[in-house]
Amino acid sequence: MINFDYIRVSTPTAAVDALAKDKAAQWIAGGTNLIDLMKKGVLNPQKLVDINNLPLKEIRKEGKVLRIGALALNSDVSEHELVLQSQPLLAQALKAGASQQIRNMATVGGNMMQRTRCPYFYNPDMPCNKREPGTGCGALKGFNRMHAIFGTSDKCIAVHPSDMCIALVALDATVLVAGPKGERRIPFQNFHRLPGELPQRDNTLERGELILGLEIPDNPFADHVHYLKVRDRSSYAFALVSVAAALALKGKTIQDVRLGMGGVAHKPWRLVEAESFLKGKQATEAVFREAANLAMRGAKGYGQNNFKLKLGPNTIVEALKKATEKA
Amino acid sequence: MAKDNEINGQPEHSPDQGRRSFLKNSSLLSALALAPPYIVKAAGAEWDEKAARFFERVPLSIEVNGRSRTLSIEPRTTLLDLLREQLALTGTKKGCDHGQCGACTVHVDGKRVLSCLSLAVMQEGKKVTTIEGLAEGEKLHPLQEAFIKHDGFQCGYCTPGQIMSGVACIREGHAGSDDEVREYMSGNICRCGAYPNIVKAIRDVQKGGQKV
Amino acid sequence: MDKEFFFDKQAKDPIERVGGRAKVTGAALYTADQQFQNLAYGFLVGSTVAKGRIKSIDTKAAERAPGVLAVITHQNAPKIPGYQTGRDPAKPPTAGQPLRIFYNEEIFYYDQPIALVIADTYERVLHAAKLVKAQYEKGVFQTELGSNLAKAKIPTGPRFEDYKRGEVDGYKNAPVKVEQEYYHPIEVHNPMELGNTLAHWESDQKLMVYTKTQGVEATRKSISDAFKLPPENITVHAEQIGGAFGMGLRTWPYEIAAVMGAQKVGRPLKLVLHREQMFTNVGYRPATQQKIGIGATPDGKLVGITHEAYANTSSYEEFTEATVNLTQFLYACPNVTTRYRLVPLNMCTPIWMRGPGEATGSFALESAMDELAFALNLDPIELRNRNHADVDPEKNQPWSSKYLTECFQMGAEKIGWKNRKLQPRTAQEGDWLVGYGMGTGAFGAMRWAATVKARLQPDGSLLLQCSVNDMGPGTATMMTAVATEAMGLTPAKVRIQMGSTGLPPGPTQGGSNVTATVGAAVNDVCTALKEQIATLLSKEGSRFHTANVHGVKVDDLLFAEGAVSLKQNPAIKMTYTELLQQNGLSVLEQTRESKGQQQQYSMYSFSVHFVKLRVHKPTGRIKIDHVVSCADAGTIVSPTTAASQMIGGAVGGIGMAMMEDLVIDHRFGRPINNNLADYHVPVNADIPNVDVVFVGKKDPYINQMGSKGLGEIALIGMAPAIANAVFNATGKRIRTLPITPDKLMEG
Repeated sequence: MINFDYIRVSTPTAAVDALAKDKAAQWIAGGTNLIDLMKKGVLNPQKLVDINNLPLKEIRKEGKVLRIGALALNSDVSEHELVLQSQPLLAQALKAGASQQIRNMATVGGNMMQRTRCPYFYNPDMPCNKREPGTGCGALKGFNRMHAIFGTSDKCIAVHPSDMCIALVALDATVLVAGPKGERRIPFQNFHRLPGELPQRDNTLERGELILGLEIPDNPFADHVHYLKVRDRSSYAFALVSVAAALALKGKTIQDVRLGMGGVAHKPWRLVEAESFLKGKQATEAVFREAANLAMRGAKGYGQNNFKLKLGPNTIVEALKKATEKA
Repeated sequence: MAKDNEINGQPEHSPDQGRRSFLKNSSLLSALALAPPYIVKAAGAEWDEKAARFFERVPLSIEVNGRSRTLSIEPRTTLLDLLREQLALTGTKKGCDHGQCGACTVHVDGKRVLSCLSLAVMQEGKKVTTIEGLAEGEKLHPLQEAFIKHDGFQCGYCTPGQIMSGVACIREGHAGSDDEVREYMSGNICRCGAYPNIVKAIRDVQKGGQKV
Repeated sequence: MDKEFFFDKQAKDPIERVGGRAKVTGAALYTADQQFQNLAYGFLVGSTVAKGRIKSIDTKAAERAPGVLAVITHQNAPKIPGYQTGRDPAKPPTAGQPLRIFYNEEIFYYDQPIALVIADTYERVLHAAKLVKAQYEKGVFQTELGSNLAKAKIPTGPRFEDYKRGEVDGYKNAPVKVEQEYYHPIEVHNPMELGNTLAHWESDQKLMVYTKTQGVEATRKSISDAFKLPPENITVHAEQIGGAFGMGLRTWPYEIAAVMGAQKVGRPLKLVLHREQMFTNVGYRPATQQKIGIGATPDGKLVGITHEAYANTSSYEEFTEATVNLTQFLYACPNVTTRYRLVPLNMCTPIWMRGPGEATGSFALESAMDELAFALNLDPIELRNRNHADVDPEKNQPWSSKYLTECFQMGAEKIGWKNRKLQPRTAQEGDWLVGYGMGTGAFGAMRWAATVKARLQPDGSLLLQCSVNDMGPGTATMMTAVATEAMGLTPAKVRIQMGSTGLPPGPTQGGSNVTATVGAAVNDVCTALKEQIATLLSKEGSRFHTANVHGVKVDDLLFAEGAVSLKQNPAIKMTYTELLQQNGLSVLEQTRESKGQQQQYSMYSFSVHFVKLRVHKPTGRIKIDHVVSCADAGTIVSPTTAASQMIGGAVGGIGMAMMEDLVIDHRFGRPINNNLADYHVPVNADIPNVDVVFVGKKDPYINQMGSKGLGEIALIGMAPAIANAVFNATGKRIRTLPITPDKLMEG
């Protein structure tokens, strides 16, 4: 690592200023991903601006919205009473990610900003359009077992690695950001982006925009949620495929439903078609299977990850079954 | 926001006051803002920035195992390397240096974290406990005793991390069943494969109800 | 002489792991924990190509970086005298030319060290290492086993010629037969402690080295040969080793580099490998492609087995292991053919990994046995019982001891084998398919040579010295257990000094030999001490002498509670302290070398692993519910540490079966999951309760304790037990490891 400069700021204003002033500067919060990438030489910021003292840690309920500060720790969010009560799907997804030590360091904002785990991205002398545009995609014809089946481009087939974000996209969260040009609200499904021609951009934030926090609206799903993560070992591993499922049931009838999918795309994947299909139908395995098949339309394998074309729908069905079971 | 400055006693300077005042008045910001009275002493941007610009090393005040230390370190130094290479606290181990094994687990302000992914400079004003700080003199911590009793290790290299993680696991209330312990201890890899005995040790202490 | 050593005393409380307190308090000092004044830090820069030549190497930026003391490359490396003689002695017993670090511009594998950067702090050396840039003339490389089988060759030497008993490929004539191929990818040891060496030249002729080795004597010899230094001028320390699993069985180039670097900068140098380099520079379990043909009569008598294995080695050395050897002796079978071939690849040379070749071989053989049992509609245990080898069919001589049948019985009982369905895919709990499986392991019961010095001290305590070291299994605990038993002392009264040269020479810790070897030496040296005590008792002034007890033999005496007494009249008794005082001795000291004898018996340890697991149909996840590992390892000297070792082997086998897989991108000739996030080893949540069952019957021939080794058999047979249980659960036979969810999901 280069011996970067380090400053600490205590207000969002100062944080935004610090990046506006210095193009080589980058914010650091939990650091669990950034320091990893700096050690690997993937990222080499010359200045780190420590934003951990910003007053953005609160978790609170305001009317029908749960507000979570960007600097709230993953572990704190996953066990917060308000989260457990009103957004249990989020708690489940958080607990499925990383380890307790990392959840104790990682922040909500940092989790949203984490970079892909694609090995070609992680190795500075391998081709990767995300890390170094124009060098090609190493995964396209290489190791792509972990890679995307939806929304890929010939520039990049990496997947977004977060579990938390899969729940958030299902829960219709809103991201609050502030930057040099002002502040704005970004619907969660628009926060991350598909690779297209610009795989170097993971999300729609402009340079210098700071995540302040999240808002998650109340929903009728608390009784029927399930986050199912399929991975190569029982814990402490990234998803092969994961599904966040939330149901509102009246008897066996599906009043409302949300589905998010991880390990399959460059962004948290929302299964909109499957959701509209399911609304008003009976919560049965056959119906779930039909919805899952709908959800998989347009999916494309790259060889080693072809199994996701089957594991994907199976995981959707299983997550929905599990969500249904809970009363 | 204005309140922050008063608490810190350090006015913030910026070449672009206009942008700043805009942000200060932001409604979103105030909606989310805590007004935390506990903000770290040195948070004023100007002072830190100067230090960083003119010196390769920056000052650090940190409490390690109950002892206050005033140090001068490079910003890139991780907490793990600080402990091991500068403070001779080698009980905390390096297994991967990338947050993938848990051997470097320590407690910072009571929470278990990975010291290899923590910059030392970011621990300003915090309390760090390492394996060396767990026993009270000659009296071992109950979990240390339990690791011996249940043979929760072989080579011993991951053990400090396992024990620091295990103590936190019990304190967090995540040691309520064998399966819960297995899940919440999965961030600590033991290549010798002592997992079943580690689970027994943690459960034994949890069930014993001793103060941990 | 023939008393039941240990065997009658198993009920007593097992002793705690020696050194446990240091390990739980962080006081145990491993190589990288050693504190030295004026310490310099080294870091290796690796090649970015898998084959070729270094055209140019630019070290200027690194040399100019703050704190850098030296950058060593092939262009300026000090000449290693041993390198000039043709063969680097830092080698396992293999053919070929071991890699000579910084010797010339030739590149044999990806990440081969091309430079050693040395700086005054760890942060600075890491940064400077990134500034070294090299240009290469790239060669054509091969890193894939399967596509290079045409290059396969029989390893050099008579041990590896094709084996045949009876008719070649005789299985083909059997009425019932199975022919299948099995594949196992590269596995990497990945002990939690990184490879590391701390070298300090105390003078230009005197060297002190702390390093991660499983044998300090072997390391000293390698360094001595390389640097042409007399061995007595070198001290090698490895008192604490954070696991190794075979990775420390040779002296690696990085260790030589550390010694070289320390010499260059004239300061103690610490070189710690990065975890990535643990995947590329310090060996691994080679990939194997195996073919088994196995045939039996309809009533389950084996007719023949043919076992072929292709394993990879490096392009510069022939690494060999006993991949096909189990097949030669595990079952009574008239026609056995084995063939073993090596395929050179552009990778670092492999090194034995726990259970070594037998573990990979057993995956194929024990899977094939399970397939045959299914074809015969027989219980797999029954098939094995019907083909039990009462004598060693390979050497045609009796076993020294073999309690495999007991292992089957005890394990089957414990796992609930009676609940296993003969037909696969017939037990289900919800969406989960339930299955049981088992696999057998065997490994030669080795006894090598060791010298142990024992010193009875004025406070009645016993000091034992031996240079053998302990990478985790509990060597010191085992030695303490033997000594407490022999001398009638409490564990607190026994102190072990071990793990560095300069002590009486012990063996390398490998091949499950240490308990049988060093334990026997401890026992022998204690016997010598007891004989000396008996002699002293006869001297005038002794309490025995006063009581008119003359000419006592060891057999007449009772050694208990730190004292010696007469069996027939325990009132005639002297503590060890009194004995020393009375004889005006400061200490009583004996040194004994002890080694195994050529025997007319085949000596093996045996294991049987049982698994109960569930497979989630829609997602293919495996949940292991229960493991029972049974071992016939003779007398168990230290039950606590032995059980832990068995559990550890089971966990290693679970990793092998279900997740471990070094993935290489053959376009670049480099691994792409060379880190612990992407190369999966088991975590706590993967591991169920593991029950360990020891038969506990002594081997009458191996040594006086009757102890055989168990480090390898703890793992051998575990992977096929899982594959067989998966078949029993799902009806799917997985012949390519690891068994990941994508291979099992249905729908």
